[in-house]
Amino acid sequence: MKFPLKCMLPLMTLGLLAAVPALADLKVATSLTDLASVAQFVGGKHVTSQSLCRGYEDPHFVPAKPSLMKAIQHADVFVSTGLELDTGWLPLVLPGSRNPRIQAGTKGFVDASQGIDVLEKPVGTVSRAEGDIHPLGNPHYYADPKNLVIVAHHLARVFSQLDPVNAADYEANARAFDERMETSLAKWEKQMAPYKGASVVTYHRNFDYFAERFGLKLFGTVEPKPGIPPSPRHITELAAAMKQAGVKVVVYQPYYSADASNEVAKRAGGTAVEIATEVGGVPGATDVFTKFDVLVSSVAGALAGK
Amino acid sequence: MRLRELACLFAALVCAPAIATAQTSSMYSNLANPSIGMNALFTGQAARSLNQAYGLGFDEAEISLISVVDPYWTFTSNIVFVGDGSVDPEEVWVRSTNIPGIQLKLGKIRGTFGKHGLLHTHAFPFIQGPIVMANTIGDEGFKDPGVEAAWLTPLPWFSELTGGVYQAIEADDEHPLDFGSTRHDNIPFLGHFKNQFDLNDATTLELGQSLLQGRGTDGFVHAAYGADVTVRNVPARNSNRRGWILQGEYLQKGSTVDGTHIREADGGYASLQYRMSQVWWMGVRGEQARDSFTDFLVDDTGAPIAGKVNRVSANIAWTPSEFSFVRLEYSHAQADAGNGIRPNDDRVMIQLSYTIGYHPAHAY
Repeated sequence: MKFPLKCMLPLMTLGLLAAVPALADLKVATSLTDLASVAQFVGGKHVTSQSLCRGYEDPHFVPAKPSLMKAIQHADVFVSTGLELDTGWLPLVLPGSRNPRIQAGTKGFVDASQGIDVLEKPVGTVSRAEGDIHPLGNPHYYADPKNLVIVAHHLARVFSQLDPVNAADYEANARAFDERMETSLAKWEKQMAPYKGASVVTYHRNFDYFAERFGLKLFGTVEPKPGIPPSPRHITELAAAMKQAGVKVVVYQPYYSADASNEVAKRAGGTAVEIATEVGGVPGATDVFTKFDVLVSSVAGALAGK
Repeated sequence: MRLRELACLFAALVCAPAIATAQTSSMYSNLANPSIGMNALFTGQAARSLNQAYGLGFDEAEISLISVVDPYWTFTSNIVFVGDGSVDPEEVWVRSTNIPGIQLKLGKIRGTFGKHGLLHTHAFPFIQGPIVMANTIGDEGFKDPGVEAAWLTPLPWFSELTGGVYQAIEADDEHPLDFGSTRHDNIPFLGHFKNQFDLNDATTLELGQSLLQGRGTDGFVHAAYGADVTVRNVPARNSNRRGWILQGEYLQKGSTVDGTHIREADGGYASLQYRMSQVWWMGVRGEQARDSFTDFLVDDTGAPIAGKVNRVSANIAWTPSEFSFVRLEYSHAQADAGNGIRPNDDRVMIQLSYTIGYHPAHAY
């Protein structure tokens, strides 16, 4: 049988042309939307950034689709959240990309958690009897604006090393990011000031850094242990405890069960609010600044009983 | 003052060996130890067509060791302790990490053939593997020493072309394909072409074609062919609570004698797995295998005989965490009329799986 070369050639040529990477100094891929947003602010016009996990997707459970491997085949930098948040899928996606520049241990691989003051580092023995805990500490540090400043400076150093020609721009962009975040943080702290000391219930322990920054108290979680779905008994007990303590607000991310969160809130006589701790989680949260605008407004509104 | 200095000096001399001991106790560093995990699998079965007692049995315990070798290779091994007391080095291989566009695997590898053949036993979607598997490439896939190179082509979607060569091994219980010719030009080889497309935010389509060929002890060419299609849905907002997998696969084993292709055994399956919640899965599967052996198909002397077998299976699984599950399965099988002393088989099975330590994520 003759191979239909005449038919295949145009198709292959189109495919090859489509596969030519976009023209930018650095192509950056990240585990999380927040990291892609920070990378874009720091990189400016010299960088194109994309996140493999979408903002409304559970960062613990990203399906390791082959298309994700393809998406980072030509990346110059990969920014991992670190602290094993992406350990359930990144060990498949990174080698699958067949891109030697971004494998762990190379200059193009960045652990964004470096330099972060990590909360809830386990003390003593680590056991899965406590659920699917993170043995290196709570990895949801991107819920604190200050931590994103640390990430920005870290990325500026990495970008400068990989693209020394534009190093001055990266440093300047990181400083501008820092200043804008300081100004914004003052605004958000003012919004949250009336609720300092207020208690909230979260679905999972990914609100701790936000609570720490703005002086909120975490009363409990809808899931009894990390990664374990709530039982009817746990919901009953949590709602009763909330009622007794006067806790009225339950917050949950778009990728967690709204039903369980609403049930707890309803039984406690309070409200459940969907929040985005990741960029792109809810409409309007298009970058790290608008994310905190929306997040602070949602939480402050819920605590005000609006 | 002098007395205090002498006391300090004495204390330093006394403590020095202890400090030195503490420092040298890590002469054999464990910092670069591999990630270690273990999975244990237990299965209970009740089947009137089988001449065996009902009850829960120990299937296997699999120890996996994974680590980085150096800047160029990673190392993976799965050593399986089987219920009959034997030990099987199921997979022992290294993978390249610094070749652009190509992933090289060498060692005792699970050959990249088809879809079901890539799965470890505890990752089977149903307790029983498809009947056609054991009759074509092996119940748990094709697992022989060899070298594979998988090229991620420059096409704009995920398109992977894999080629491999393997050690020539003759047919036995683990190897339904006879590649046992001792001719020097007998190098069994594999080709696999996989394409995956994102249909939308949540749904993917995967198409695969496979070929495995070598020369048998009879001097003839023996081969297996496969084709698979998988449509998978994982809703982004419910990636840990909802989703479904629709999958179909066809496999054929044959040989070429004097230029004529002889189909020796073939068959396929179609299955649907549906995730009902974070902890509940269910599945149904229909399959057919022709000219195939299976455990209940025997003649009146108890010897296995081949036939055409149709089977339907349904199961439900409870996965309270990522590290354990219990599943219950029922299957009904029917073989060609006139074949075997018991042409029908109904069985109920229960399986329990437990994992400790590090366990790598399963492929999508």
